Amino acid sequence: MGKISSNTLRILVLLAVFAATVLFFASQIDGYLNARLFNRISGSVAVIALIAVGQAFVVLTRNIDLSIGSVVGCTAYFTGGILIAYPDLPPILVPLLAMAIGALFGAVNGFFVARFQLPSIIVTLATLAIFRSILVQSSDGSSITTEKLPVWLTSFATQNAFTVGDLQMRWIVVISVLVVLTAHVFLTRFRAGRRFFAIGSNPDAAAFAGINAGRTIFLAFVISGALAGLAGFMFLARFGNITVVAGLGLELKSVGAVVVGGVKIFGGSGNVLGVLIGAALIDLIDTSLVRWEVVSEFWREAVLGLLILTAVVLDTVLIRRLLDRRRRKAATLAEERAS
Amino acid sequence: MIDRLRASLASWEGFLFAVLLLLVAVNAIASPFFLSVGNQINMFQLSIEKIIVALAMTFVIINGEIDLSVASVMGLAACAFGWMVQQGVPAGVAVALVIVLGILCGAFNAFWIVVFKIPSLVVTLSTLIAYRGFARVLVEDRGIGDFPEWFDRLGQAGLIGPVPLAMLIFLVLATLAVLILQRTAFGRKVYFIGANRAVAEYSGLDVRAVKAKIFIASGAISALAGLLYAARVGAVRGDIANGFELDIITMVLLGGVSIFGGAGTMSGTILAILIVLNLRNGMALANITGHIQTGVLGVLLILSVMVPIIRETGHRLIARMR
Amino acid sequence: MPPVLDMRDICKSFGGTMALSGFSLQLEAGRIHALVGENGAGKSTLIKTMTGIHQPDSGQIFVDGQPAVFSGTAAAQRAGIAAIYQEPMVFPDLSVAENIFISHQNRPTLINWSTLNDEAAAMIARLGVTLDPRQPASELTLAEQQTVEIARAISLNVRALIMDEPSASLSDHEVKRLFGIARSLRDQGVAVLYISHRLDEIFALADTVTVMRDGKHISTHPVAGVTQASMISEMVGRDMQGRFAREPTTATGETLLAVTGLQKSGVFRDISFTVAKGEIVCFSGLVGARRTDVGLALFGVSPADAGRIEIAGQPVTITNPNQAQALGIAYVSEDRRKLGLALTESIASNITLPMLAKYSGAFGWIDKLRELADAQAFRERLNIKAANMGVSVGTLSGGNQQKVMLAKWLNTKPRLLIVDEPTRGIDVGAKAEVHQILRTLAAEGVAIVIISSDLPEVLSLADRVIVMREGRIVGEFPGNEATDESVMALAVAAEVA
Repeated sequence: MGKISSNTLRILVLLAVFAATVLFFASQIDGYLNARLFNRISGSVAVIALIAVGQAFVVLTRNIDLSIGSVVGCTAYFTGGILIAYPDLPPILVPLLAMAIGALFGAVNGFFVARFQLPSIIVTLATLAIFRSILVQSSDGSSITTEKLPVWLTSFATQNAFTVGDLQMRWIVVISVLVVLTAHVFLTRFRAGRRFFAIGSNPDAAAFAGINAGRTIFLAFVISGALAGLAGFMFLARFGNITVVAGLGLELKSVGAVVVGGVKIFGGSGNVLGVLIGAALIDLIDTSLVRWEVVSEFWREAVLGLLILTAVVLDTVLIRRLLDRRRRKAATLAEERAS
Repeated sequence: MIDRLRASLASWEGFLFAVLLLLVAVNAIASPFFLSVGNQINMFQLSIEKIIVALAMTFVIINGEIDLSVASVMGLAACAFGWMVQQGVPAGVAVALVIVLGILCGAFNAFWIVVFKIPSLVVTLSTLIAYRGFARVLVEDRGIGDFPEWFDRLGQAGLIGPVPLAMLIFLVLATLAVLILQRTAFGRKVYFIGANRAVAEYSGLDVRAVKAKIFIASGAISALAGLLYAARVGAVRGDIANGFELDIITMVLLGGVSIFGGAGTMSGTILAILIVLNLRNGMALANITGHIQTGVLGVLLILSVMVPIIRETGHRLIARMR
Repeated sequence: MPPVLDMRDICKSFGGTMALSGFSLQLEAGRIHALVGENGAGKSTLIKTMTGIHQPDSGQIFVDGQPAVFSGTAAAQRAGIAAIYQEPMVFPDLSVAENIFISHQNRPTLINWSTLNDEAAAMIARLGVTLDPRQPASELTLAEQQTVEIARAISLNVRALIMDEPSASLSDHEVKRLFGIARSLRDQGVAVLYISHRLDEIFALADTVTVMRDGKHISTHPVAGVTQASMISEMVGRDMQGRFAREPTTATGETLLAVTGLQKSGVFRDISFTVAKGEIVCFSGLVGARRTDVGLALFGVSPADAGRIEIAGQPVTITNPNQAQALGIAYVSEDRRKLGLALTESIASNITLPMLAKYSGAFGWIDKLRELADAQAFRERLNIKAANMGVSVGTLSGGNQQKVMLAKWLNTKPRLLIVDEPTRGIDVGAKAEVHQILRTLAAEGVAIVIISSDLPEVLSLADRVIVMREGRIVGEFPGNEATDESVMALAVAAEVA
């Protein structure tokens, strides 16, 4: 009917904000708009986007996964450790291994949240600490350094799948984009994907419709863990050196990307393409603030926090206005009938 | 069912007390230094800022809300103090200004939660990031030290005998917290609003004012705790008090306060605080590092919310066996 | 041909109260069967039993003549039984098309949106309605959401569709459309069970009508064979011997509350009435008549848009419960668990909650002895059965909780007491006690407004009965002239023949 759906509208708004941000910094920073900007940002967006997509699955079901940064750290460490012990592992197996390890961590979260119906914020707040302490405990004796890792892994991070002019499309970026697209197709085109929306949108109606909420929520946490595992693999490839603080704080960035990307924090609605743009926007601001001379680069976190708050407030206010309008409409109808 | 819930809550403090006695006994046997005055004071001093904030957090959670931003307010307060001292503001004035800053941080949280009715989880998650960000803006990647000597001494040395200022503040605040929560009209309102907000509103309670006061108090007390931390360590950095919210929330929930609000007591929180302190102290004496200690706390946190479920399963098993 | 759904001798009780006792009902294909009964007659329990939410304690269910057991909603759905409710159960974030097909297990794993939308559009078109299948359900009106639910039921090859008060929140135009849908379903061979308080709707729509009362089947007739009056008398038909007559009023005649032209847009309008000191005025009417909304407006929970309220001759504005309390108004809610009491807190603290300031001195310090003494006084005065005043309210029986709630508001020493459903869900003994308390209060000069769906209660308590229907006052009787039939007839909008 020529009407733009609210989802499409959100993505258009995000793209506009993204473009405006690029233009703003281009006007402030000399030589800002060039291929190097893309090449610099795309690598870190690749990692954050993966985590944020996993987080989106969880948030869609009205939950939250705060343990995700620790999962990234753990999988990076364990994958590295296994690679050092078995350097001849076929490269294709390594990311799969990382995803399996991550999925295992996610399953722990999912088990407690889905099976016992414990609040996910408590469970993942606890596992945030537990997983991190597992990492600390394990890395006590040996740490992962670039020299110990196979060469193929560390060069993988900078390997290009293809180039467009000066734009380098790294493999990790291509993989990440493929994952986002797969998740998008799964969530929009598969019946199993729609269950995540149904549960978040109206849990009671979902129960009536015969949807198994426990299983779906468990799956959301497993997916979140597996994608964090893949991100852990990329983290390992990009940095090589894994310390006990690897992945620290990524949970906040992922929640930020999800909320800025237009996923409703109370579940039921959202789009992972928006999440990708949200992740890119956050990273763009991060990177650009470093180069902008007017303010210190240390404004990054403050800006991120306020950005999330703004996104939530705008969303809440807009949704409330929509509901008000509907209520007024209903009241008018009732008036008509009474007279 | 509610009868049983009530009974179990009543006995939860008893259970905590037994656990505490056991821990003290184990620690005392394991280490001859454990019961020494020096170690006992040290035990409190190492976590003193967290346990002070846990008192405020008890009000927040019983009220049915959560404040994830407390550790960031602590960090911001400490960094703001350091920055002001560096800019030449007299330390005494800086202390007062920092408390005002804490009040403002709490009021900012309260504004969105009370006026816009945005869930406190989301608001304080955002301000967790933002307040920490402001702390980093102030000190960037430096460390700021060289505070006036009186300030450091207040943080480190004994004020009355061997007992330092922070511990005295904790004792005073803990007493006040017990009295306010359990014996005053304000405390009563905190419980009723947490137990059933609609009933509170129908009974004419000023729900919004109570919530706002609690978040503002949480901000102010977190700022005070941040100052005490700065004084104890003698220097501030951008990541000061990072991640403390986990410890703080764990202590409160372990104390039997329900994450859904309305239930729990201040004495439960205080017992849980003592348990956590003894546990950490015992682990430290056994050479277990801080990160692992935090992991153990994580396990305790899950266990404490699992208790009703574990008890329920036990009852069912017993019933089946009969 | 056997009936599509045949319920035989169904019994279901909840903690000692029989919600259904030996109820039987047959739904036949291609017929619209109406079900009527007072509030609390057991209709919702019946629906829940039919849709597998509740399992009957005894009795049998047959589908197409074959015995069936509905272990859950899925089983009932498989048998082709579906229900739509007054408040539609939709997924607000999902599109119309998805809402229709969400529970289909046999659709392909991969969703083809254009096919799905086309099928949904076709499904909706069969109901004679136009809706954009891509629109999210949150943007639909209530009536449209209901249409989506009906379309969902049809898409699941519904054999018997239960419509529970579907017209309660619809406009006239929407009701007409709903009737069209119900008729076309009937013509397609679906068995429709239509539940409504509006008798005129039943005459316009149904083929057969069943009256139920107190969980029992009273009668089933072809609609052609009944009149509104006969239905009403079957709905209310109690043994009148046991009825307490209200003693002559003690009202002093001095008006305490005078309401003129109270209005809240889309909720109620033209509400005018008075209550004198010592008088008991009962608001009667059916669920959805908006009586509670009038009560909430007087108490300031959701204030009216327009109109005049006078207390003891003084015009007042009431915009929140605090103001209402200060004016001496108390409101005892119909929903003890959600709005009345904090179940986890103690009896004493619940009773003193609205008057906390009275019990607290410097620094808000609560005088617990005084609090306990006052609670204790109420325990004796209202005969509250509890171990002590420190136990949590949740441990008490419904009747005793009701008394605690009364105590809570009596403690505010109200001049005007509004009691919403004073005896819902409490046993007979406690009911009589609550009635006696209310009479005593009136004798002491308190002006009392009672909102009750329990007709015998209204008739035994009221000095005056005010009947509301669809947000308006439609009639008023002196207490001694009101009868079951006359009140019910006004409430359901029928002429008593």
